Amino acid sequence: MSPYTLTIMIFGIGLGTTITLMSSHWLLAWMGLEINTLAMLPLMSQHNHPRAVQATTKYFLTQATAAAMLLFASTTNAWITGEWAIQQMTSLIPLTMITMPLTLKIGLAPMHSWLPEVLQGLDLNTGLIMSTWQKLAPFALLLQIQANNPTLLITLGLLSTLVGGWGGMNQTQLRKILAYSSIAHLGWMMLILPFSPSLTLITFITYIIMTCSTFMIFEINKATNINMLATSWAKAPTLTSLTPLVLLSLGGLPPLTGFMPKWLILQELTKQELTTTATFVAMTALLSLYFYLRLSYAMTLTMAPNNLPGTIPWRLQFKSFSMPLATTTMASITLLPIMPAMSTLLKL
Amino acid sequence: MKLFYACSASTCVVLILLLLLYPVILSFIRSKSPKFEIYYHSVIALGLSFYISMMLLLLSLILPINMTVTILPWTNTDVFDMDISLQFDLYSVMFMPVALYVTWQILEFAYTYMHADPQINRFFKYLLIFMTAMIIFVTANNLLQLFIGWEIMGIMSFLLIGWWHGRADANIAALQAMIYNRVGDIGLIYAMAWFAIIHNSWDIQHIFQLPQNEKINLPLIALIIAATGKSAQFSLHPWLPSAMEGPTPVSALLHSSTMVVAGIFLLVRMNPLMEFNPTILTICLCLGALTTFFSALCALTQNDIKKIVAFSTSSQLGLMMVAIGLNQPDLAFLHICTHAFFKALLFLCSGSFIHSLNGEQDIRKMGGMLYLMPITSSCFTLSILSLMGVPFMTGFFSKDTILEAMSASYVNIWAITLTLMATSFTAVYSLRLIFFVLMGRPRTKPVSTMNEHDPYAIKPLVRLAVASIITGCLLVHYMVPPKMPVITMPPILKLAALIVSLIGFVIALGLAFMANKQLKPKPPSGPHHFSNMLGFFPTIIHRFIPKIILTMAQKIASKMIDQTWLKKTGPKAASNINKPLATTTSNVQRGMIKPYITLFLLTLTIAGILVYFTIF
Repeated sequence: MSPYTLTIMIFGIGLGTTITLMSSHWLLAWMGLEINTLAMLPLMSQHNHPRAVQATTKYFLTQATAAAMLLFASTTNAWITGEWAIQQMTSLIPLTMITMPLTLKIGLAPMHSWLPEVLQGLDLNTGLIMSTWQKLAPFALLLQIQANNPTLLITLGLLSTLVGGWGGMNQTQLRKILAYSSIAHLGWMMLILPFSPSLTLITFITYIIMTCSTFMIFEINKATNINMLATSWAKAPTLTSLTPLVLLSLGGLPPLTGFMPKWLILQELTKQELTTTATFVAMTALLSLYFYLRLSYAMTLTMAPNNLPGTIPWRLQFKSFSMPLATTTMASITLLPIMPAMSTLLKL
Repeated sequence: MKLFYACSASTCVVLILLLLLYPVILSFIRSKSPKFEIYYHSVIALGLSFYISMMLLLLSLILPINMTVTILPWTNTDVFDMDISLQFDLYSVMFMPVALYVTWQILEFAYTYMHADPQINRFFKYLLIFMTAMIIFVTANNLLQLFIGWEIMGIMSFLLIGWWHGRADANIAALQAMIYNRVGDIGLIYAMAWFAIIHNSWDIQHIFQLPQNEKINLPLIALIIAATGKSAQFSLHPWLPSAMEGPTPVSALLHSSTMVVAGIFLLVRMNPLMEFNPTILTICLCLGALTTFFSALCALTQNDIKKIVAFSTSSQLGLMMVAIGLNQPDLAFLHICTHAFFKALLFLCSGSFIHSLNGEQDIRKMGGMLYLMPITSSCFTLSILSLMGVPFMTGFFSKDTILEAMSASYVNIWAITLTLMATSFTAVYSLRLIFFVLMGRPRTKPVSTMNEHDPYAIKPLVRLAVASIITGCLLVHYMVPPKMPVITMPPILKLAALIVSLIGFVIALGLAFMANKQLKPKPPSGPHHFSNMLGFFPTIIHRFIPKIILTMAQKIASKMIDQTWLKKTGPKAASNINKPLATTTSNVQRGMIKPYITLFLLTLTIAGILVYFTIF
């Protein structure tokens, strides 16, 4: 792909999301989402091999369905209430009808099934965009809808954490595992959305930090499945020893950053007298923890045999740009102490 | 006068201890001593100690004083005083020469038996340390000293039984002795703790003087358990026959004449506490009767010469316990002393036979020893006659007196019957020993190396044989008269012990001559197996009970708790529940676009319907 086209496409992705974020009108929001999707498609298929094209097709179809349903729902809403504003949703049926396509877009269970397969067809950089930036716009819309239905969101949230755990258990493909990890995290966000949107935001930010770090680590190691992780000790020993911390941070172990959102969410759920839900969701986190541990085990806790030339790449310099990796990795390990500052700053 | 006695008595004991320890200390000082040096030193030390203890005995016969001598304070606190103190009464003063004489002979004999052993110096050191412990035990006037002697004896017994530790059997026997003795030790420790807590004293004389009440039964039962363990009474007896895995001198010294009587000696010492306590006395009586009968019964069908003698020892210990139960500690003590001579002799003669036959212990492979080893055979016969209680041999004076005292008293008739049966059994297995070992034709291997030229092997036997004839008369003469007044009794009761022995002897003779007639071609059955397999006691206690415990451990601890609760319902259940669900989740992903859209529309519809019907 020529650099000009690439620039335009990336600009389009940014523009689409920005339009959605800025809009208070459903039609404009829909337009932003569409721009964003359409700009993403060429990026996804830039390598021109069948799997990428297949993934692009799947992505296009699901996003188009979601966009159509969103348009339909907002039109219905305008028809019933005469109101286009995002924050003025009052009618319940259109509200439900709007929530569903948005959750389809960010890939919540049970509408999650496109995400692992699409992600598996992409290279890791595009995958990174897919699982972070592309979630931003629909997520912002979900945050803005005021009168959400708590039961619906809790159900979706719990389902997502469960499916995220179970799906990841059975995987050896790293991108699919990351997709399920994303599903599980978004489940946590949906769970707390009706009660404390600012917590949802904190969760989202920490999730983005951690998942960026993970994607970049895998990118440096050129690893797309668990077996390929096993030789990472020869490529970047320091990073290899840090990776389990990042992964366990994703899993939500104290004293790592990932513990913060889970901690706050469980606390908030308990305050809302949803102790059973809190317990249940904490248990489902164990399912996810299982595959994070499995990754850590394969990568760091065992030392895979290698031939002699294979043991020296750590002497070579990294070509890739390692500053973002360093930043996000440190952030995903050590952010817990600034929890009070974060929860104060992100108060909506 | 008293001061003179006290000084000379304690000097004697200290001298004896120093003499006994001298060869041991010598071996520490000199890094490498010649091979038999310790042996010579220890025989001399034991001989001298014997004469010193004889001086003490004669002194006490001239000045019959019971006294305790406190040599020096050990630890004195505000609440609990402990002194090193010795007790000089009939028991300690009389037992010391007996034990030292027997030990002297056995050590001298051990030279022949052990001369090929590379560690012979260590062997004699062990024996000397053991003897020191025995002297400490016998003369102790407080429970701690008593306990120290008791424990050292136990450890030496362990080390000496396991002397040939290259053999698994010897190790097992040593462990068995250790474990059974520990049970007894728990009893002694319990009693000590009780006396320390309740009476606040370990001084034996103090304990006797303090008021007694019902609660005294507890420590007394603990003391009986201690005696049961040490003296191989029924239920803690299996270690004694197993202990025959040790060298024969060890069996002769520790497991027939000295160590095993420590338990009985303890009860003799503590007798003032149980004098007026019918419960405890009855327990002792029944325990003793059962032991003497059971051991005699087991001895009937054994084929190992040492096993037979070991069971005979156990049987005699039971008889001593019976005497304790009859409240006749003096008689028990008398039997301890007389038994030491003839049983040591019996063991040494057996050892001599075994040694001459190149380690053969099976009486079926002996025979005709009368012609091959006449001196040893004579001594063997003498000791057996003494064991049977033939009139005016050593054994007669103590054994017959005990049986007579028993027949004359009106205690438990069942115990009396058992003891009398055991007495007749004694005659039976004694005859069996004589018949198989001494009489008939040799059934040994053709090339025989036996001879009786070695004076070190013969002299001790002769000396002990003389002692087996005369000491009973001497001892009974110097013993204080029994507490019971002399009563008249019908001749049948007076002669009961002799009559049952005679009956047993005659029946056994008849049986023995029937042995090669093949009247009954049937293999031996029921009762024979019971006797031959030691009453199935080791099988039940050593195999069945551990098996139950291990099975329960396997079922409850391993299977139920570990495997079922901690594994099956925990981690395994988690994985079993989650695995199919994970598979289901993965199975949704089949790379088809249709399910994506379908799932979306389905969810949308269901959510819409639910919202519509619940909210509106």
